[in-house]
Amino acid sequence: MPMRFLPILLAIAALNAQTPASDGATHANWPQYGGTSLSWRYSALDEINIGNVGKLAPAWVFQTGDYEQGLQSTPIVIDGVMYVSTSRSQVFALDAATGSLIWQYKYPLPRGRATAQNRGVAVADGKVFIGTYDDYLVAIDQKTGREAWKVAVNDSRQCGCTINSAPLVAEGKVIIGEAGGDGALRGYLTAFDTQTGRLAWRFYTIPAPGEKGNETWKGDSWKFGGGATWMTGSFDPALNLVYWGTGNAASDLYAEDRDPGGNGQGGLNLYTASVIALDADTGKLRWYYQEVPKDMWDYDAAYESILIDREINGKMRKLLVHVNKGGFAFTLDRTTGEFIKAFPIVELHTWVQGITEDGKWVGRKEPLPGHPVNVCPGPLGGKSWNQDAYSPRTGMIYTPSIEMCADLIANRQEPREGGGFLGGNWVLGLPTDRTNFSHVDAYDPLTGKRQWTYPSKSLLFASLLATAGDLVFTGDPEGLFFALDARSGKKVWSFQTGAGHRGSAVTYSVKGKQYIATPTGYGSLAAGMTAGLFADSDRFRGGSSVMVFALPEGSK
Amino acid sequence: MRWLPWLLGFAPAWGQSVPEVVAQGEKVFNQTCATGYCHGLKGGSGGAPRLAARGFDEAYINSTMTRGVSGTAMPAFATILSRSDFVAVAAYVATLNGIATPNVNLGGGRAGGPPMETLSRDAARGRELFFDSLRGFGRCSTCHEVNGMGIPVASAIAKVPADAAALRALATPGVRTATVGGEPMPAVVVSQGKTRTIFFDLTSVPPVQRTLDAGAASLAEGSRWSHASVVGAYSDGDLESILAYLRAEVMSNR
Repeated sequence: MPMRFLPILLAIAALNAQTPASDGATHANWPQYGGTSLSWRYSALDEINIGNVGKLAPAWVFQTGDYEQGLQSTPIVIDGVMYVSTSRSQVFALDAATGSLIWQYKYPLPRGRATAQNRGVAVADGKVFIGTYDDYLVAIDQKTGREAWKVAVNDSRQCGCTINSAPLVAEGKVIIGEAGGDGALRGYLTAFDTQTGRLAWRFYTIPAPGEKGNETWKGDSWKFGGGATWMTGSFDPALNLVYWGTGNAASDLYAEDRDPGGNGQGGLNLYTASVIALDADTGKLRWYYQEVPKDMWDYDAAYESILIDREINGKMRKLLVHVNKGGFAFTLDRTTGEFIKAFPIVELHTWVQGITEDGKWVGRKEPLPGHPVNVCPGPLGGKSWNQDAYSPRTGMIYTPSIEMCADLIANRQEPREGGGFLGGNWVLGLPTDRTNFSHVDAYDPLTGKRQWTYPSKSLLFASLLATAGDLVFTGDPEGLFFALDARSGKKVWSFQTGAGHRGSAVTYSVKGKQYIATPTGYGSLAAGMTAGLFADSDRFRGGSSVMVFALPEGSK
Repeated sequence: MRWLPWLLGFAPAWGQSVPEVVAQGEKVFNQTCATGYCHGLKGGSGGAPRLAARGFDEAYINSTMTRGVSGTAMPAFATILSRSDFVAVAAYVATLNGIATPNVNLGGGRAGGPPMETLSRDAARGRELFFDSLRGFGRCSTCHEVNGMGIPVASAIAKVPADAAALRALATPGVRTATVGGEPMPAVVVSQGKTRTIFFDLTSVPPVQRTLDAGAASLAEGSRWSHASVVGAYSDGDLESILAYLRAEVMSNR
């Protein structure tokens, strides 16, 4: 071997020895629902930072005019254009520096649909993708706003299911989930070709007879066993794996008809209440981790998967952090699905005494047929679907938690396709011995240690945004949009936006200037169900606008 | 008009007493309306308002169920429940509001089609096969809408083939060939205007509705596509049951 090649070979060997950590930070753009496909909701932009955030001021506001169920969206920003969707599947392209309208797309939702909700679009390959409340996936031309293709993912009139979540784009495919697992539905995840709209693959979250995992269901219960994929997943391009959380098993509260007996080793009612890893090309299952075997509390595992690389015992590990509605966060190895750590993100978790070092629940308090059983968290979860953020600067996971309880009453129920399949009922309640019912916390995802907590009386139902300016942004139902110090949790800035927060703030830059954008307008199922628990809920205002902030000229 | 004949013809054929209708209504209500996200058992409230003892009259119950409530999660049940279930739920909710003997012949409910109870056993099996969600995109309703359910890719079924062989060999003159970027594909044209062409691409299931600038797609008559290629998952026996179901539907629409 000629000597001159040796230094190069050594350099390559050194690179291989320290695989560079995957970077989930956004920069000028906010290209995906979770920021990047690693779902950190973290931006490397730091023009707006802990030192100058006090000067942050409104730059522009855009009113969508669609006030249905608030504005629950995550705006996508690419090359100075913002794409934002409303609950009734309208999509707006806006100049991200000025807020002026470039185009709008109005999806014709069928009449008779009394409500709708939508949480965002995906943008890739010259198209903007939106899932609709009547179960279509639509591709819109990114330049003109004209429809390019649409495809029926299911028949909502039959399945009783809807699409509320944003799609995920991965290597020429657009992947879309499905909501409706509190009804009689067999959950699935579907991928389509971004250009042609043709089906790429479908993965059912509940295996059919003959497939591995079907033995974890009793009789025919697999046919309507839930496992809805009602939020947006993540994608690791290096591993070519798509990660998705799955919803509760159904019927939600009554489980005897789906329990096949046996010891439940490896899971019960697979793959509900699980994180699944699928090959992005084929949709084939690579691994699963079931967080709540034989779920009986509506404890979906449908929320976001945050993909981070961290050192454990001197070795760089590819990890996945995921919060379950039961009020616990899970840290898994995302190559293999191996359990690493679980820790509570709520102060009240009376449904279980605890969890062992290897991830086994201890002392589950299960609903009983006909008798109320009080558990915390209630069926809305220790956190709603609004999303966590992760900052590589602090190494912290930031999470919005809620402290709520419920009386659960299980009742046996026969499934009826597309109909409700809750297997009982519940009454939500606030814990009586507290004055705050929600908090933003910073956790070390490796140890589960809480670094700080920011308490809130009303329920924090908006996502978090972390930035390299060491700020964490979110909003509350009363309309305040605010920034916390990422290292201490102290509130360092706030602004009254005039409507409650149920969406997801983002940050981006145009021509080198950084902007912070937040949807405003309170709404959603959870917001409606909890309003009655607060005497002052008239202050939680609906609406639907994008409000954007920046530093005034010369104030840096 | 299409629902009038069976409204007149079939409603008495249910042959259910009022208590039986109310009992059916309670069952459907518990499955559909009573969940913790919505009205709760016996209409005692969950996430949505209480329905019991509110002084609702039957006209209000019927119209709210028919139209839904804008701005809430309450859908228009006229397009969701079968007519018999709709009437039964309305009757049950009336009893929750002190109306002891509700009128079970109210209007509203879903338009069209015979109730399941009037289908022969074979036709009822055919209906299940036609809409069988366990077949995913391989079911008939991926492309056919019947009685307010299914995706209307094909035009409404007006003539029912004689037998399974005829169903497989069905002539499909409506399927043409669209060529986009040099790729030919079987297509059902939705509209062809001066500026835009809209068609369903039948290359694979589910069909994809494409919207293209008029110049970007060229259309030609004829296609190699065959109906047999999409009904392969059904046996001849299955198809005969499906045909029995379709005959019952088409008859009821005359």
